[in-house]
Amino acid sequence: MNRIAFTLTVNAMACEVVAEPRKLLSDVLREDLRLTGTHVGCEHGVCGACTVLVDGAPARACLIFAIQMQCREITTVEGLTPAEGLSPLQQALHEEHGLQCGYCTPGIITTFEAFLRENPKPTDDEIREVLSGNLCRCTGYANIVRAIRKAAQIMRKGTAA
Amino acid sequence: MSGVKPEDTARDGFDQIGKPVPRKEDARLLRGKGTYLDDIEVPGALHACFVRSPYAHARITGFDLDEAKAAPGVVAVVTGHEVNDWTNALKMAPPIEGLQPTEMTTLPVDKARFHGDPVACVVATDRYLAEDAAELVYVEYDLLDAVTSYDAALADGAPLVDETLPSNLVSHQKFEAGDIARRKAEAYRVVEAAFAMQRMTHLPIETRGCIALWDDGRAHLTMHIGSQAPHPMRSMLAGRLRLAEHQVTVASPDVGGAFGQKIIVYREEITVAALACRLKRPVRWREDRLENLSASLQARENAVKTLAAVARDGRILSLEAEITEDFGAYCFYPANYLARVIGMILTGPYRIQDYAFEVKIALTNKCGAGPMRAPMAITSLVMDGTLDAVARELDIDPAEVRRVNMVRPSDLPYVMPTGEKLEDVTPSECFERGLEEIGYAAFRDAQEADRDNGIYRGLGMCNVIESTTYGSAFYKAAGIPGSGHEAAWVKIEPSGAIRASAGLMGTGQSYETPYAQAVAEGLGVDPAQVDVVLGNTDISPYGMGARGSRGATAGGGTLFLAALDLKAKMLDIAAALLGLNSPSELELRGGQVLRHVGGAWSETGLGLGDIARTAYMDPLKLPEGMEPGLEMHRAWDPPQMTYSNSTHFCAVTLDAATGRVDIDRYLIVEDCGTVLNPLVVEGQQQGATVMGIGGVLFEHMVYDESGQNLCGTLADYMIPTACEAPEIEIVSQNTPNRRTPAGIKGMAEGGIMGAIGAVNNAVNDALRPFGVVAERQPLSPDYIRSLLRVTG
Repeated sequence: MNRIAFTLTVNAMACEVVAEPRKLLSDVLREDLRLTGTHVGCEHGVCGACTVLVDGAPARACLIFAIQMQCREITTVEGLTPAEGLSPLQQALHEEHGLQCGYCTPGIITTFEAFLRENPKPTDDEIREVLSGNLCRCTGYANIVRAIRKAAQIMRKGTAA
Repeated sequence: MSGVKPEDTARDGFDQIGKPVPRKEDARLLRGKGTYLDDIEVPGALHACFVRSPYAHARITGFDLDEAKAAPGVVAVVTGHEVNDWTNALKMAPPIEGLQPTEMTTLPVDKARFHGDPVACVVATDRYLAEDAAELVYVEYDLLDAVTSYDAALADGAPLVDETLPSNLVSHQKFEAGDIARRKAEAYRVVEAAFAMQRMTHLPIETRGCIALWDDGRAHLTMHIGSQAPHPMRSMLAGRLRLAEHQVTVASPDVGGAFGQKIIVYREEITVAALACRLKRPVRWREDRLENLSASLQARENAVKTLAAVARDGRILSLEAEITEDFGAYCFYPANYLARVIGMILTGPYRIQDYAFEVKIALTNKCGAGPMRAPMAITSLVMDGTLDAVARELDIDPAEVRRVNMVRPSDLPYVMPTGEKLEDVTPSECFERGLEEIGYAAFRDAQEADRDNGIYRGLGMCNVIESTTYGSAFYKAAGIPGSGHEAAWVKIEPSGAIRASAGLMGTGQSYETPYAQAVAEGLGVDPAQVDVVLGNTDISPYGMGARGSRGATAGGGTLFLAALDLKAKMLDIAAALLGLNSPSELELRGGQVLRHVGGAWSETGLGLGDIARTAYMDPLKLPEGMEPGLEMHRAWDPPQMTYSNSTHFCAVTLDAATGRVDIDRYLIVEDCGTVLNPLVVEGQQQGATVMGIGGVLFEHMVYDESGQNLCGTLADYMIPTACEAPEIEIVSQNTPNRRTPAGIKGMAEGGIMGAIGAVNNAVNDALRPFGVVAERQPLSPDYIRSLLRVTG
């Protein structure tokens, strides 16, 4: 067991980690840093549940070794959640019943926080295209699409104000 | 039975039931603060990893565990030779005619029966190390021929999957009502049709797993495990582990989907629990996706052939159905369980009295099968698909064939040939509304014109009678072991804080919110005041869990009854405090006691808090003979069967060159009774329908001829993504059920039944000009092209 000490920047905080170089980012976030909002659904990069932001861009935490992430900025669902209440995207998902079991939800939040920043006025087709990288077995997706559309509207108003 | 009766609880208007209240559970789940199994931190827990058979059928001739035992971090390596001594085998031998008794040890020691069969377990201090050591377990196998299809399993001289049985035919039953021979002799024609569903799997996004904690001082096992049915699971675990039920607590955390996969206790979980008891250390296991796809319960893979004797106008005079199913290698459920229900309710909303079915279930060298959301999914496809076959053969409009056969409002209550009773359902009302909404006549005209231009559109219809809530009487009538009752309690603490619980556990169905609404309605308070706690057997009452679509009727209904009884007690207390002889003029609303005087409701100044304080802290003020406290427990066994009904319409365009199917429009008209929360119901309708569409078009658990599972990743087993899921229009035409609390009927599986029928029927409608019929799913481009190639 060849454990190595290194530093990760997660949700704008420097975190000291001692882990094997082969340890996945998803496991380090969940086990070493206790950030359990990042979920693991397949460990082969298909389901999207483990999606986090690396330097602001969505990435599968199950396909990255944590040690590779030194000098990068990692953001998880916990880092996208305000201290009180919900973000506009989270609030829209709540109002539109855009989650059922909730297991895939953090991956959808991280993906679309990044997407809506770059694409403030997406069409439904664009939303569905991006959402196709996150598997949901419960909802049938319609309410998620509706919620993202609503969040985009609210976020546009927020920026304009 | 004391207390309020279910049939007395329907009302025209409710205060809390029926409101689109956004969900209570969202606050934690959206913030990444849910607690799923793997989020539970257990200091010092060991990690289990299973070694699985790479072969579908092989004699186990030896184990070499030395190298694995010596690997870093390894605490134990065990096989069935140890674990089977510590645990009881699963005996599946209910007294059912035609069902072969089977027995399954916790881990196999003589032979592996499918690709993925667990044969050894490694326990280490870390998951990575456990997986490393699992690679060092050597198992010697002698390969046996595998049977990988229903037909191969029943062929003469087929290798036996279970060598204690005379053949691979594990279950065989027949049923006949009426006079089939006579009806056939009278018939204008006898129409044959065939239907088949492929092997599928539930695919919860959170895989299975468990954490077993053994308290050696108290001799008590706590099992953290995502479970749809915590109490039955505790009973099973205790029995297998040779413990008393009170020595076991099952605690289900948040669950990331289940769909029927998380009801039973599996062999891996028994092994992990047994190891925790033996090692006296916490042991945890997290299934990986490959294991979930290859060794967690699978489903469907059934086929139905029908023979319909019909009159010239398309009226069905008699129906015969031959139902077959490939059940896989082991019986985790009685093998007749799923197919038998298909036979029982097959005739659905149609007037058929002369009916026969035969059910044959075979064991094969594939993963064991069990119920998956809508285990009777194929029924609506078979019935409406048979009517489409009749329409094609007699050249009658398919809507007209449905009309002449459908149960009319004046026929209700209608007793099906199996004895099942349809009442308080509205199939013809939903169907006619659907024809209107979809613009049936206009579609047919446009379809005709498009065909001339080489555009092949199809319209599929499917009328669904959804069996949602199984009462004990149904299980008895169907020859399936089980109880249909559910239990619930509602408690008000001295401060007025409200808690409620039921035996069901949610795995994404949103129970916490509609249950809070049912309790709030019963008590006369706001749903936000009601804390619903589910999933822990030390807290929840013994109920049968989340199965079928019983969550609203059995769970919500029993909670509503308990809350109504508790309110009655509170009003008795209020009357005493107000010096009234009777509570007849009193009501609780918004947590306040109101009095009806002079034709209007006025405040009494008494609130829930005053009543609670009195009940606990000042019992001398209670009416004479009343017990202190505010706790109410109810158990309720629902009627034999509660039915919802719906009509699904699906319009597709078929690309004849590629075999691709595009869904142009999808419409549902549904009657699911009194709705607790329309947001939640719509979510279930959407989700179920898309899961059904996935089954018709994409999902397929493929095994090759040697029994190798070819779907080890999510790139191989394809469920619908946001790009394949259509927008679904839903029209609600809800009418109450007279026998259930508040008139609830329940739903959540009908979407699958309807989609499987409507999409398949739509594709066959589009294929009509080519003179071919799709008889098996999935309707992949490959399969559609194979049909079209035959036509040249």
